Amino acid sequence: MSDLAPADTALLSLDGVTSGYGPISVLQGVSLAVRPGEIFALMGKNGMGKTTLLKTILGAIRARGGRIEYQGRPILGAEPRALVEAGIAYAPQDQPLFQDLSIRDNLRLALPGDRQLGAALDRVYGHFPFLRDRLGQKAGTLSGGEQKMLIIARALMMQPRLLLIDEISEGLQPSVVTRIAQALRQEREQRGTTILLVEQNLRFALDVADRWAVLKLGAIEDAGAVDGGAHDRILRHLQI
Amino acid sequence: MMAPPHSKESRQMTLLLDIITTAAILFIIATGLLTIFGVLKIINFAHGAWLTVGAYCAVAVGDLGWNPWAALPVAFVTGAALGGLTERFIVRPLYARPLDAILATWGLGIIIGQLITLGFGRDVQFTKALLPGTADVFGTSYSVYRLFALAAAIAIGLGFSWLMEGTRLGLSARAVIMNEALARALGLDTRRIRWVTFMIGCGLAALAGTLLTPLTSVDPNMGVAWLVGSFMLVMVAGQSFAALALACLLLGGAQVIVSTYVSPILGGITVAVLAAVVLRISPKGFSRV
Amino acid sequence: MSDATLDTAAEPGRRRSRMRHLWVLALIAAGLMIAGPLFLDRFTVNVLTRSMIFAILAVTVDLLWGFTGILTFGQAAFFGAGAYATAMVLTHLGSTPGLMVLGLVLSIVLPVLLAAAVGWLTFYPGSTDFYATVISLVVPIVVTQVIYSGGTWTGSSSGLVGYVGLDLSLGGFFRLAGLSLVAVVVVALIFVRSDAGRVLTAIRNNETRCAYLGISTQKVKIALTAVLAAVTGYAGFLYANASGVVAPENAGFVFGTQLVVWTALGGRGTVIGPALGAVAIDYLSAQLSGQMPFLWQLVIGTLFVAMIIFMPNGLAALATGWRRMRRGEDGFSPQLVALPPRAARVPADGDSPLLRIEKLEKSYGSQKVLEDITLQVRRGELVSLVGPNGAGKTTLMRCMTDGKAASGGTVRIHGTSISGMVPDQIVARGIGRKFQVASVFDSLTVAECLRMARVSHEAPSFLRSADSLSLPQAAIEILRLTGLDQHLGRAVSLLSHGQKQSLELAMVVSLEPELILLDEPTAGLTAAERATIGQVLMKLTSELGLAAILVEHDLDFVRDISSRIVVLHQGRLVLDGTVEEVVNDEIVKRIYSGGDHV
Repeated sequence: MSDLAPADTALLSLDGVTSGYGPISVLQGVSLAVRPGEIFALMGKNGMGKTTLLKTILGAIRARGGRIEYQGRPILGAEPRALVEAGIAYAPQDQPLFQDLSIRDNLRLALPGDRQLGAALDRVYGHFPFLRDRLGQKAGTLSGGEQKMLIIARALMMQPRLLLIDEISEGLQPSVVTRIAQALRQEREQRGTTILLVEQNLRFALDVADRWAVLKLGAIEDAGAVDGGAHDRILRHLQI
Repeated sequence: MMAPPHSKESRQMTLLLDIITTAAILFIIATGLLTIFGVLKIINFAHGAWLTVGAYCAVAVGDLGWNPWAALPVAFVTGAALGGLTERFIVRPLYARPLDAILATWGLGIIIGQLITLGFGRDVQFTKALLPGTADVFGTSYSVYRLFALAAAIAIGLGFSWLMEGTRLGLSARAVIMNEALARALGLDTRRIRWVTFMIGCGLAALAGTLLTPLTSVDPNMGVAWLVGSFMLVMVAGQSFAALALACLLLGGAQVIVSTYVSPILGGITVAVLAAVVLRISPKGFSRV
Repeated sequence: MSDATLDTAAEPGRRRSRMRHLWVLALIAAGLMIAGPLFLDRFTVNVLTRSMIFAILAVTVDLLWGFTGILTFGQAAFFGAGAYATAMVLTHLGSTPGLMVLGLVLSIVLPVLLAAAVGWLTFYPGSTDFYATVISLVVPIVVTQVIYSGGTWTGSSSGLVGYVGLDLSLGGFFRLAGLSLVAVVVVALIFVRSDAGRVLTAIRNNETRCAYLGISTQKVKIALTAVLAAVTGYAGFLYANASGVVAPENAGFVFGTQLVVWTALGGRGTVIGPALGAVAIDYLSAQLSGQMPFLWQLVIGTLFVAMIIFMPNGLAALATGWRRMRRGEDGFSPQLVALPPRAARVPADGDSPLLRIEKLEKSYGSQKVLEDITLQVRRGELVSLVGPNGAGKTTLMRCMTDGKAASGGTVRIHGTSISGMVPDQIVARGIGRKFQVASVFDSLTVAECLRMARVSHEAPSFLRSADSLSLPQAAIEILRLTGLDQHLGRAVSLLSHGQKQSLELAMVVSLEPELILLDEPTAGLTAAERATIGQVLMKLTSELGLAAILVEHDLDFVRDISSRIVVLHQGRLVLDGTVEEVVNDEIVKRIYSGGDHV
């Protein structure tokens, strides 16, 4: 588990984090470190605490114990706005878009003001050109795959330092998964963006990630680098 | 309330104008309540008190000898300022308890009513007519001020559409209405958006109170009479200004027709009863309009 | 809790002495009411008579709002209807004893009819608390306008005055109002402490759970509204006689809000608090109205706002907190009694399935969440429903317990389609549902929660809280296994998450269902608690012959206890087979490993 010990160089580090909803404890002491510029995949079956982990990092669920540090400073209890200003973007899984707002307004809301809007839009068109022609269309009228691409595009609008993504590949066609993977890799290459993915899709995770960990019943069960043996090792944890 | 009708056509014209201008007045009265309910999901039961505050702004402006039109900006600013304080100290702790928020704002209404009584006495006050006289509309003479109220309703409606659709603040407010959790996750300052929205809603309510002064007498409890009607219209309208306009036109129109042909007293309950029936049949009211 | 047994032994005695206290206090209060006019001045007697009549109204508001959670401004309308019924009879017909009785009867019957109609309009399956409040605003306005339009019949805006009322002195009215108030308070206190009274609290805590325990919450609320309207109408009768004048304001919504203010300041949920609050505030208002009328209202308004913000449960929270401190944590623990096993609803005719789902479909707009689901479950089976997030598992569970949820296809229980049925009707057909997040009643004790589950089988007492609690053997066993039988008197809010989950399961089993639906019963439980729940489920199905459907993520758990596994993926049923078949299936492996389309 030495791979996961909080390193001095970590951009994001969790140390013994516990949290849950009301009386339910979901995370039972999670420790992991995400290094600057890496793509880290957190795998696990449903109900094992993956989404809870992201929401705890973001402060949407209050942590009951442990430490969470970003750029070496504790961020537990910080306002979501402060995290966004510090360069953390989030691509949620539940109700991730304003369905009745246009694509343009959805993207616009990712920036604090409209001054940089043009430049930011041009940048995300680079990844997903279809957005340019359909700016006025309501987000709710997009297909499932297009909506997922819009979620990623919106997260990239602010050029985040750290991007948290919750099960973006769920229910997607392989071709869309490939395009999203490409966008994420490119972003990392060009801007050094650090990405923490929460995933169940093994193929997609292995395609983009540098390292992985498996969450089971609220604790890290296994972890390692993405190499030849990773596929079989992770599959063992995901299977029925 | 109108000049005596001369012919059948003229009577029909008067009825039509009554319907339209009544709807306009109801719309003006209810916008402030809808603004707050739409974004904050809170019923501001002090709404009646804010109407009263606006009306007394007109009284105060008259006492000071200022131009009566100055009452409009004075009322908006006063209402908004008081609204800012209210949101901060009374409403903010109650967002998770909407029924308690109704009660607390009702209590605030009592407080404001008593403060006004202490300041101005409980007698009926009169203000200078803003636009006296009648105008000729297609051969029918009709109150100029009611026609102005129609224009004011349209101006408020358009102004609000612009605010919601055309500005960054409006976009943020719509985002909060649609999905507050997501809005917050994207870094929107939802606390400030709520605060500003509450101020605007209270400012609009006070403005409506000033606009009411030529149509009704001013006393410390005048707002209560308007509260339930606006509340019911807002319940039917949900979160949409278009739905509110439609509700005002249909329910207000029914009120005018019942008042004219059946009895003015039954007319007084038409809006409330129809709204209750609409909500029973379709709990979302007209909000899908 | 080694002193638990001691506690239990002492409890019935303490409860009896508490009842004795109530009667002693009631007698003292009644004595004061009778003696009052002897040493109070005329003005005070006059004002207090009115205040005490209003206090009766505050008690009815408290039962509706403080106990049941229905915020109402409408009591004024029923009060006005009662007062006007009396005043109109006395004004237009005369005041012979016979007509006085007619006035009394009408003052009760009219409000009851009005309340029944309002209740029927207000409380329907799926109606919201908010709608009830909205309607409670409309009713007084309508009644007031009807009074205004009544011409000489109602006296229009000036009301009715000058009729001859009951032949009583000032002191006589004081005594009548006072004794009526004492009677109403005593009856209300007995009722709220009885088993039936706890149903109101259960509804306020968790109306959905009540419906899924087979309680028709709409009927309860309509009945409560109607009965309280009778009390309110009687108060109107007293008022019309005692004051000699009725006015439209008596029926208005402003008066309705005043009742709520008094109730809040007195302390909602305590019965006595609102009664004292109403008397004190109304009396002081009359005293002070000469010297500082507006300032006084200002003080009341300020206190009210502060109370709502800082002490939302009023003084009740303080009082119960204090009582708990004084008496230790646990309340009364009734004796557990095992019920004899119950005959099956429909005789078991060999192999006919208990549950039969055919071509079930559910869509939100154009999005299909469930499609073409066909599934049968027989007695004794433990079927696990698995699949990735968003596969439609919880939606499928909902379609089995709410006849209005499905968009197409049929769900049959014992061959009868549940289409259009509301939850309490489906529960009556033998289905029990356990929710994902433990759904229990936080303001009740463990025993009271369990009793709620039996309300649909045996009517609870309106007078007392029973000393024993009869439950099916299986439910008692769950309590034993989880140790909850040692904490029957404990407030549910003090239980751990695992204990709440077990309690909810025991409640569902107490319904004596034939099919139990469980949504992630082990979420957030410790390994030991999981094992216990698993053991209970195996016993229920294999020994007692119940059927169970289980949504579960913990696949080790599923593998250990299921007799069959059903796999859902993207709203479709992908596989239905034994544990072996599913675990070794290639498609299932693919679903779980790579998001392939099946």
